[in-house]
Amino acid sequence: MKQRIGVYICHCGGNISDYVDVEQLGKLMEKEDGVIISKDVMFACSDANQKDMINDINEKQLDAIVVASCSPKLHTHTFRGVAERAGINPYNYAQVNVREQCSWAHSDKPMDATIKAYGLIRAGIGRVSHSEALESIEITTQKAVAVIGAGVSGMRAAIDLARMGSHVYLIEKESKVGGKIANTGKLFMTGENGSEVIERLNQRIKQLSNITVFTNANLGKVSGSIGNFFIDVNVGEELLKFNVGSVLVTTGFDFYQPQEGEYGYKLSENVITLQDFNKLIESSNGKLVHNGKPVKSVAYIYCVGNRQSKGDNKYCSRQCCTAAVHSSLRVHEKFEGVKAFHIHRDIRTYGKQELLYQESSRKGDIYIKFEEKEPPVVELKDSKPTIRVKDYLTSKKELTLDADLVVLVTGMVARADSSEISSKLKIPVGSDKFFNEIHPKLKPVETVIKGVYIGGACQGPKNITESVQSALSGASKINAVLRKGSIALEPIVARVNADACAWCNKCAEVCEYDAVKPIESNGKMIAEVNISTCTGCGICAPVCPTNAIEIAQYTDNEIESMIDGFMSKGEIEARELEHSAKVEAGKVGMKEYPEIWNHIIRAINGSSLTIPEIAAKTGIESNLITWHLMTMNRYSVVEPVGLNDEESYYKYKLKK
Amino acid sequence: MSHINPNFAEEIKKFGAKDFHLCFNCGNCTAICALSTKDESFPREMVRYSTLGLEEDIKSSLKPWMCYYCGECSTDCPRQAHPGELMMSLRRWLTAKYDWTGLSGLLYKHLSAYIIGFLLVIVGLLVFAGNLDYNQELIMHYGHYFEMFAIAGVFAVILLPNIVRMWLYTIINPKVKAPIKIYFKAFSELIVHMFTQKRFLGCEKTRENSIKWFEHFMLVISYLSLLFTTVFLDWFGSQNLFVIWLGYIESAIIFIVTFHFVLKRIQKTEALHKFSQPSDWFFVIWLLLMGITAFMVRLFIDIHLLENNFWFYLFHLTVLVQWAIIIVPFGKWTHFLYRSFAMYFVRIQELNNQIKK
Repeated sequence: MKQRIGVYICHCGGNISDYVDVEQLGKLMEKEDGVIISKDVMFACSDANQKDMINDINEKQLDAIVVASCSPKLHTHTFRGVAERAGINPYNYAQVNVREQCSWAHSDKPMDATIKAYGLIRAGIGRVSHSEALESIEITTQKAVAVIGAGVSGMRAAIDLARMGSHVYLIEKESKVGGKIANTGKLFMTGENGSEVIERLNQRIKQLSNITVFTNANLGKVSGSIGNFFIDVNVGEELLKFNVGSVLVTTGFDFYQPQEGEYGYKLSENVITLQDFNKLIESSNGKLVHNGKPVKSVAYIYCVGNRQSKGDNKYCSRQCCTAAVHSSLRVHEKFEGVKAFHIHRDIRTYGKQELLYQESSRKGDIYIKFEEKEPPVVELKDSKPTIRVKDYLTSKKELTLDADLVVLVTGMVARADSSEISSKLKIPVGSDKFFNEIHPKLKPVETVIKGVYIGGACQGPKNITESVQSALSGASKINAVLRKGSIALEPIVARVNADACAWCNKCAEVCEYDAVKPIESNGKMIAEVNISTCTGCGICAPVCPTNAIEIAQYTDNEIESMIDGFMSKGEIEARELEHSAKVEAGKVGMKEYPEIWNHIIRAINGSSLTIPEIAAKTGIESNLITWHLMTMNRYSVVEPVGLNDEESYYKYKLKK
Repeated sequence: MSHINPNFAEEIKKFGAKDFHLCFNCGNCTAICALSTKDESFPREMVRYSTLGLEEDIKSSLKPWMCYYCGECSTDCPRQAHPGELMMSLRRWLTAKYDWTGLSGLLYKHLSAYIIGFLLVIVGLLVFAGNLDYNQELIMHYGHYFEMFAIAGVFAVILLPNIVRMWLYTIINPKVKAPIKIYFKAFSELIVHMFTQKRFLGCEKTRENSIKWFEHFMLVISYLSLLFTTVFLDWFGSQNLFVIWLGYIESAIIFIVTFHFVLKRIQKTEALHKFSQPSDWFFVIWLLLMGITAFMVRLFIDIHLLENNFWFYLFHLTVLVQWAIIIVPFGKWTHFLYRSFAMYFVRIQELNNQIKK
């Protein structure tokens, strides 16, 4: 039990104190058990207050602190830092949210907001009085990385990882590196052949002694956690074992394989996929010939196997429009007089690829737009396929066209073996069967498994540029983790009470991170938590029938004392409302402002001024002007009108 | 159901169309067109038909004639697909389709055909004049008669059958079964548009500056009245001061206006003058030449210079014959008729639809 607790309650410049009676709460908290000092402060996060807190901790020999201000998302690390600098353990501090959860949420009921804040702050005091000092978990990391899949993304990422000093095991299932790009012809925009790009990467890989490439290799069992993964790889008959610090998954994708009969696929040799057509273009010379017959017209049908409103593949594969238009231009480049019909649902040649679309239109390619509900029909009665389509660009007119060859522009799908990879590495997959990142924008290459990253098209449809970008992003994330040789992890993890545990496996079953394993201890099996994999999510604690698991910082003592703290109501007196609170509550008109607002309004009066200018004019301290001006801005009394000439301060004017 | 013809683009390009297949169907051209309406919307639809090569749909459409080529659509096209120029080319193509002799198409597609035609006229005239021993009086006498017969002949043999064909393509084939009384009811539309080019006033550019319309209007009126003055009032033979002055004024207006037109085609400041086909050049230059030579011939008569400069009359007659038997029946002159008939047929369709409802 802590006996010397400091409590700091923040006004947030009125954001909190306009509704929550922080002054009264400050006085009430002084009476709580173990509280040595309790203060209300204008801005808890300000430098001045942080210094005061450190002084208080030193002078009053505090052993724990509670800050009641905003969301822990915002300032947990700020006040942990304060605690650390003052010499107390950063985990002996509790953040109580009285802004988002009290003043902002209950601005219509200031008294109730104050009562709720009272309970929450008491809960915070209860929590720190039982909190324990924790140290962050240090883990030594292997400076080695397994890159799974040696396509363009994996190869490119392997090179950067190796150059940054890690040993890279590049594991490829096929007999050759390079993946799908190795078999692709000319690429937009550089005009190189796919094989040339792969060859260049391969040369670079061969020069780097710290990349080991395994072809015909299959990923076997994976165990361990960030910093120390143990990976089995089957190369032919041989079983190899590696110890790596991190894993980068760049396993790529499959092209959608059309069903038999889908747009006449497999019913006629004149209906082929874009991949086969590309091979035909590259292998033909002088004349475009398919099965001995010259090809004079090609109909491309887009979005095959993609953008299905009813099927699994609801997404757009984003690269196929460009690929088809590019193939068409390649045909014009190599062969004379081949007509092209692009039967599409929308042309999405985004970014610089738009130039291809424009070029293709210039060459006279005909674009016809259909909708999913009225797809084109390929008729195979004659030797030449005939396509019937309702063109949405010609008032849905029903059109027919003859083509020597029908090319199905197929989208991308998750690899058939992706479930195998995902189950070995425990990477979650989406409903589209592609691997899922934690957050598409904020953590785009991280997976929920610490130390396992994804890059390239295994995560969802991407073109080559985008695939390489994401793989390189994964490589730099990995380097950031491995370069120091050790990493510090949050100590908020599950702990097992060996005496109470009877190993029933329930905790292991619910763990999403595979962090619980049985071990033998004193002659019986008990659960052991891998602290480097555990995220402290807490799902295991409630399922334990013998209550043998607790989470650091969320122990029963802490939670129970929080509940006790929250349940008592205390003696809170109603207070006279602040002016702005009265405004919000509709009790006064907008004309009645605090006196200082009237000073500021008179100072601005039709002009637009910066904070220092207002301070000089009113003779009021600029800090105070800042606080009030921010509140006035929030209540739409003033508004910013851009920077001053030196671009150092915002100017404010009165809002009409 | 219509069949796509990817080769149509090549065909229509021979009539002057530019990169219209660059169109990505944004519809800016239709949105900006002051003449396009909800029921009669263009030019995007025509661009689309041309891209797909739907010849039958284009042939049965009157929309190309409903455009007066202000050029706003070409100026505002985000893809530089020149929809205005496509509409112009479609009018040339339609002229060729309406023409039963097939000569229009030949002339539009091949500059050489024009030149051969012009040369043949020169040779013919020289032979003809030679046969008459270069007798000034006789030649001028026949020249006067030629004008009468040319007008009647060209109209009866070429223009009238072609208008009937236009009617077949746009009214009969699309099964617009309009009762006769509608033809009478709509007739005023034909006359109004033929003599006033009223629709041209609706164009954005003309609205900004109605001088453009006035110039064109004056040209049409002067041309028609000069025709009347020379053929029926025998301008070159007349002693009537009023007739003489009338002819001078009419021919002066013609060459002044056409001089301005030629200048605009050289300067290319407006979208519609950016691409001039041979047929456009011949049309304005021959009108200019006709105005100026007719003016000069009458002037030579009045100051008694023509006897010693008879070659000048022959030059005038050459221009006149080339105009009358090449440009009028097969060249750009026909837009005068087709535009007004198109407005007439559109009115017939409208009235017929109203009855059906």
